[in-house]
Amino acid sequence: MPQIRTEFRKLATIRSPWLLLAAGPVIVVAGITGLVLSGTNVHDPAAQNRAMAHVGLAAVFTLIFGILAVAGEYRHSTITDTFLSFPGRGRVIAAKLAVYGLAGAAAGLVSSAAALAVTASWWAAKDAVFHLSAAGTWQTFAGGVAANCAFALIGVGLGALIRNIAGAVALALAWIALIEGIAGQLIGPGLARWLPFYASEALDRAAIITTRLLPQWGGGLVLLGYAAVFAAAAVLVTLRRDVT
Amino acid sequence: MAEIEVRGLTKTFGAVTAVRDMSFTAPAGQVTGFLGPNGSGKTTTLRATLGLIRPTAGETLIGGVPYRHLAQPRRRVGALLEASGFHPGRRARNHLAVLAASCGVPGRRVDEVLDLVNLASAADRRVREFSLGMRQRLGLAAALLGDPQVLLLDEPANGLDPAGITWLRGLLRGLAGEGRTVVVASHVLGEVAQTADRVVIVNAGELRFSGPLHELGGSGRALESAFLRLTAVPS
Repeated sequence: MPQIRTEFRKLATIRSPWLLLAAGPVIVVAGITGLVLSGTNVHDPAAQNRAMAHVGLAAVFTLIFGILAVAGEYRHSTITDTFLSFPGRGRVIAAKLAVYGLAGAAAGLVSSAAALAVTASWWAAKDAVFHLSAAGTWQTFAGGVAANCAFALIGVGLGALIRNIAGAVALALAWIALIEGIAGQLIGPGLARWLPFYASEALDRAAIITTRLLPQWGGGLVLLGYAAVFAAAAVLVTLRRDVT
Repeated sequence: MAEIEVRGLTKTFGAVTAVRDMSFTAPAGQVTGFLGPNGSGKTTTLRATLGLIRPTAGETLIGGVPYRHLAQPRRRVGALLEASGFHPGRRARNHLAVLAASCGVPGRRVDEVLDLVNLASAADRRVREFSLGMRQRLGLAAALLGDPQVLLLDEPANGLDPAGITWLRGLLRGLAGEGRTVVVASHVLGEVAQTADRVVIVNAGELRFSGPLHELGGSGRALESAFLRLTAVPS
């Protein structure tokens, strides 16, 4: 499909998206290191999963990466050339979802691998036993990949709906830092676990907290549902909008 | 044949009518100058022709077909629009390579058009380092990439130096001489008088004149006085 080939070519010829994705594993390594240096008892069996769960932090960057897919094209007016090449705008959005979802998953894989490596290294440095075969380790590893992919997809939809990079990023960050926490308290834990970041916690912290969260697979499905709703709204709006 | 037909085009943005019941034809093998004051509806008409704007009424056809129904549109129609842009961090050659991937033209065509617009020596620089004239040349290269039969160019001389303007005039005449349809929206009437075979003049979203240049006198001065008369606010 030429739409997909074109999206890959676009990504391969600029640097900013890659710098953004590279920030993911960096924040994961820093977060785990901070956890260990702040005096966490690494001999506590639960600490290993708490460390690994930092992979979820990287999804903030895949979310912004996804926002740039469409909003970045409006920012630089390259969206005009994109729609001149492909007047079927729905397929353009679909191709962006495929390519950015794949890149988000790949970034998640790197972040999960970084989390695993740095956790295992700290455990070795502190003479603690790292349980590679513990169920939570690989659950969190896979959940981290899925969360990073899902947030890239949500970002593509969000950026196509809002189109303004600053506006979309500000809304996303405000949602993460403020809105979801407050909304969660207002509606209570029974409903809050259906909100996107509670759902993503279920994905990558499954082995730690199970009581107030969805099961891991449930969290994954809920995030995919959000991605689908945003994508559908993005396609509907993009088809109708004039490009001026 | 790939003539452009605008048929009864109307476009409103909210309460503002940008284009009202506009109809004209730009035939193949000729350069058509598309003239009008700022805000007269030229850009809206071009964007509607390219499927970027949905008409409120009427239609625009290229070789009898709406843009969105063209197979491989970039190989049929090349466009240079004022608001079409570049990622500042992308190298010029890569900008064209992205477009080449989108319309399935081979990579060597990228080097051909870079040579054609005289940008080969700057091909590996990032667009943020480009002057306005260089960006304009890159935009022209993008329009020509698919070797299209139809060219729609909005202020193509913008930012070009005198030698560049002379070069552009020769290029456009040559393209029309090969039987292509060339539409040039411009404010530079003296330049249009030297380049165009036909002119379309619009004002306040309405058509004021469409016909051969010689009907308006042909010279730059005659075109200017005709333009000012046709676009004057009725007293």
